Amino acid sequence: MTDAPMREPTFLVLTALAAEPRHGYAVIEDVAGMTGGRVRLRAGTLYAALDRLRAEGLIEVDREEIVQSRLRRYYRLTGAGERSLATETARLRAQATIAEQRLSARRTQFGGATA
Amino acid sequence: MTESRYRRLLALYPRDFRREYEDEMIGVLMADPRPGPAQVLDILGHAMLAHLRQLAPLPGDGWARSARLVQLFGALLLLAAAVRRVAGIPVRLLRGWIDHLVIDPVDLFRVGAWTVVLIAAVFGLRVVGALGAVAGLAGEIVGPGRYYLDTPAMVLYTYWVMAAAAVVLIAGLAAEPGRLRLRRGRGESAEPGAPGDRVVRGVVPVTVAGALLILHGFWLLLGPWQVRMAMPYAGLALVTFAVYRQAPEVRRRMVAWAVPVVVTLPLTRLGFGGFIEHNMRHPEALRLIGPAQWAALVLIPVAAFMAAAELNRRREATRGRERTGDDGEMAGERGFGVPAAGHVRAHE
Repeated sequence: MTDAPMREPTFLVLTALAAEPRHGYAVIEDVAGMTGGRVRLRAGTLYAALDRLRAEGLIEVDREEIVQSRLRRYYRLTGAGERSLATETARLRAQATIAEQRLSARRTQFGGATA
Repeated sequence: MTESRYRRLLALYPRDFRREYEDEMIGVLMADPRPGPAQVLDILGHAMLAHLRQLAPLPGDGWARSARLVQLFGALLLLAAAVRRVAGIPVRLLRGWIDHLVIDPVDLFRVGAWTVVLIAAVFGLRVVGALGAVAGLAGEIVGPGRYYLDTPAMVLYTYWVMAAAAVVLIAGLAAEPGRLRLRRGRGESAEPGAPGDRVVRGVVPVTVAGALLILHGFWLLLGPWQVRMAMPYAGLALVTFAVYRQAPEVRRRMVAWAVPVVVTLPLTRLGFGGFIEHNMRHPEALRLIGPAQWAALVLIPVAAFMAAAELNRRREATRGRERTGDDGEMAGERGFGVPAAGHVRAHE
């Protein structure tokens, strides 16, 4: 793996699973809710991310159910997934802090007026 | 869409992936109130990526990233090739070599189609990119295809352009999402050219290569022939430099994407040399390309890509083992479930 920033769908899927184990469609709904509807994952994107995250050991299967004759598999965050999400969150927070500081300095410099 | 249609689409995924996720995905797709072209393209693109990931030794987005760059650079060069066909006409008109402006509508159509693909590649518009690339590929086929019955060799001479158009179309479906940027903001840090990095490296050399391609089309109207002779080599060197600037895992995959296009050159020039010569010598008894020859034209580039990707996989797997000192299979090497956890079966 590279140290490149985590892609947004990956970050959002991990965040969705950080709250509680969820099945595929619940992840889509939670991500849509978290982002105010801006990101609404599609099945192909979601399962590519879930498969990759499982392969990397960041999530694992929690349990399976059959609901209305359909398989419903719940996924949960692993310890490695928790650490990876924490690292990415810290990275994003650091960047956001820099942005906030610079915006704040800019507002002070321009006396509150926007350029 | 019906469940059976979704199942037919999911059949495009590798067998292992289907075994692991098909039932779940059907449940999600049937619950999702957004059927339509975008949903279909999402499945097509990720099915392709799942096949490509089988050829990759490490988890990651190297294929998706390389596909995005192939789409971007490919669209840029195909646009340049399309502009090249019409750019010389105004120069000829000004020089008085022709009386009036006549532009082939198919040439204009190709310019439009590749412009759309280029814009879609920058902004990450998958559906628009796919539609534009389908139109571009159709234009590249129709352009020389119109003369097929008179000069079948024209199709062979331009076959590499058709192959390039097909690669750009396929790469666009497998490309990573998101808008690309040409410059990095201050304070931003990321491994340059790596998956997930929104900043693209190598756009300038590829753009210059495209400009050279356009100039090459009518340079003899402007300057010495020696310069024109050097232009293709300079363009090739610039594109090579742009690929070289990417992260190693992305670079290697970009080379694999280029192989099906490169292999068409010896295939059509050497493999069909006798065919072309026969038609040149016997214009009264033209031979057309036979079914087996068409199959070779399609299958050999595909096989070449598979071989290049497999070589890549073996090379990276060997390097990965050398790095970790582990000669066993890396955990989750290919995805499609987690070997350590085993395959979890549904319970009633």
